[in-house]
Amino acid sequence: MKLKTNMIKLDQEVPTRDQAIRIAGQLLVDGGCVAPEYIDSMIARNNDVSTYMGNFIAIPHGTDEGKKYIKETGISIVQIPMGVDFSKPDEDQEQLVTVVFGIAGKDNEHLNILSQIALFCSNVANVAKIADAKTPEEIVDLLQEIGK
Amino acid sequence: MSQENTGSSVKVKIQKFGTFLSGMIMPNIGAIIAWGLTAAIFMTPNGWFPNPQINNLSKPMLNYLLPLLIGYTGGKMVDEERGAVIGAIATIGVIVGSDQPMFLGAMIMGPLGAWLMKKVDNLFQHKIKSGFEMIYDNFSLGILGLMLAIFAYFIVNPIMVTGSRWASSAVDAIIRVHMLPLANIIIEPAKVLFLNNAIGNGILVPLGIQQAAQAGKSVLFMMESNPGPGLGILLAFMLFGKGSSKSSAPGAAIIEFFGGIHEIYFPYILMKPILILAAMAGGVTGTFLFSVLGGGLKAAASPGSIIAMLIVSAKGSYFGNIVGVLGAAIVSFVISAIILKNDKSTDDDLATKQQQMQAMKAESKGEAMPSSTEAVNSVASYADVKKVIFACDAGMGSSAMGASLLRDKFKKANINIDVTNMAIRNLKDDAGLLVITQDQLADRSLQKTPSALHISVDNFLSSPKYDEIVANFTALSQVNDNDTKKAAEAANETNALDKVDFSKVKEVNFIRHDQHVGTSTMATSLFADKMKEAGKTVPVKAVRIEDIDDDPSHLVIVTPEAERNLKLRYSKIQVIVEDDLLQGKELDEIVAKLN
Repeated sequence: MKLKTNMIKLDQEVPTRDQAIRIAGQLLVDGGCVAPEYIDSMIARNNDVSTYMGNFIAIPHGTDEGKKYIKETGISIVQIPMGVDFSKPDEDQEQLVTVVFGIAGKDNEHLNILSQIALFCSNVANVAKIADAKTPEEIVDLLQEIGK
Repeated sequence: MSQENTGSSVKVKIQKFGTFLSGMIMPNIGAIIAWGLTAAIFMTPNGWFPNPQINNLSKPMLNYLLPLLIGYTGGKMVDEERGAVIGAIATIGVIVGSDQPMFLGAMIMGPLGAWLMKKVDNLFQHKIKSGFEMIYDNFSLGILGLMLAIFAYFIVNPIMVTGSRWASSAVDAIIRVHMLPLANIIIEPAKVLFLNNAIGNGILVPLGIQQAAQAGKSVLFMMESNPGPGLGILLAFMLFGKGSSKSSAPGAAIIEFFGGIHEIYFPYILMKPILILAAMAGGVTGTFLFSVLGGGLKAAASPGSIIAMLIVSAKGSYFGNIVGVLGAAIVSFVISAIILKNDKSTDDDLATKQQQMQAMKAESKGEAMPSSTEAVNSVASYADVKKVIFACDAGMGSSAMGASLLRDKFKKANINIDVTNMAIRNLKDDAGLLVITQDQLADRSLQKTPSALHISVDNFLSSPKYDEIVANFTALSQVNDNDTKKAAEAANETNALDKVDFSKVKEVNFIRHDQHVGTSTMATSLFADKMKEAGKTVPVKAVRIEDIDDDPSHLVIVTPEAERNLKLRYSKIQVIVEDDLLQGKELDEIVAKLN
């Protein structure tokens, strides 16, 4: 699977983490990867166990239940330069997120690219590059570079 | 790998050599284990589940696979990929026509082949016309490889065979004069040099069979296959070792003692050659106890595992055999422990060895290692760069392409800096260099040019880093000369912090400018976390450039490129220039000085 530029939204300003997940989910819906019901399952999963990964990234994805809504594997990317807090209201530690990766994974096809993303984002300077990117192509280039 | 070590003492030299040898074995331990398990489990008739078909794997693995891997790795240590390939070709020459596993031959031919390749490259590489690099590369390697393989077959192989025959006859002589335990003084070092099979199967086993035929049992079967000395050394590493040698020792001990794969403890000794004393003492003790307490085996214990030994122990010899093995382990453990405990030296070689192993571990676990690009900002600043060099492993053409791409970009951006390309080995550590190389070669170019600015790219042709470089130079050239110097000084001098009056600071700001909104968000959050950890109360905010009050109560942390705009607008605010807003070294100092 490859990252597609039409699955990337730049420069989003969102008030809540749920809103950020909805944008990432809608990209997956528009890209023909999932049925609309998948978005609610993404929200549910994040409420259950936070998909905040540290280093300013989150990787929202559906629950086990939600798997039936996946049509094909896909990853969407939402850039939120001003950041959005992914912590629960009752947590006092801020969990700031500037890049959201929406994940729809079928038959482990996404694992390869996900591990690439993880490797890349383990260096916070790389996350900054994604958070600063001006075009979707730039982000695709950044992430495709890793696998080479 | 081929760093000059200034330590001239013999000890350091031996140490370095040992590290070099073990560096060839370490990455291939997995393959040695694969062979060892095959032999231990399926060997006919002494294996746990004898299976003649699967057993067919074990001989080629031992004779071909392992030496080739070692030769490959040895070559790689000297001259990267090219060295690895030629090392393997050279190694096959030693292997063919020998009935013994040629580990030692591989450890000679691999690095030797790579070293010769390097010499040949130095002679011809710069004379090759562009476009013919590939032809030269492949044919020179092929032709030299062929010559080396023939040389190894006719010259090196016989030398190796003669050498191991000498070792065997030395043991033989000692046995004849009935000083049996002393034989271990030769056996143990020979074992560590991977002559264990040559000595064990070449001489001790045949002699043992003669003895056993007459007396029903023989001690000779146990002199080389006694797992005690190795166990003692590995246990000592478990308790008193450092770093990865400590953490890998328990697994190695199990494989050595119960699996009978002695090869696994050799690298530990190669790492600290003085430990050979522990192995010798353990071996001597073991053989002495076997002889005195009437130990002995009915047949060869192969592999040298405690299980195999007990299976073929002669009736009534169990006590002697067990005590001998344990005695050997205890003696070698005590001596190793003393050596390792007294090892206060911050031994560079061991440290690098461990770093490498940690790096390998990290890679295998999929953790990213910090790349040298992070060092970029701390090494120097763009202001000092007079020349850009693309470095690559000779003749790959990619560096030439990269250089021409960047030249093009520089031209478009009106940047007046030379861009050239050359082989890493020809790099000179001049002042004012920016060296760009592929990630895999970053370490080598860093070694060659420690004072240069380094950037490593994944791919010479499509790297976003080029645009960063261009942006950095552009930012510099737009500032007038005085400001350039100031910015460079500020970036290079930690004393810049002394100019800041921290007592006045009521708010720390990061600038949100169009280029790096995400970065400033993240930098603000990271810095606020640091402040919180340090129990500081000054608020941290990200602001747009036009939203700052011009007042010294604001401490603004900016990149050199943003500083320019700031100075145009404001005169009273306090500014600290930081190349890397996320991970800069100065950030912690700033936190420490704030209220």
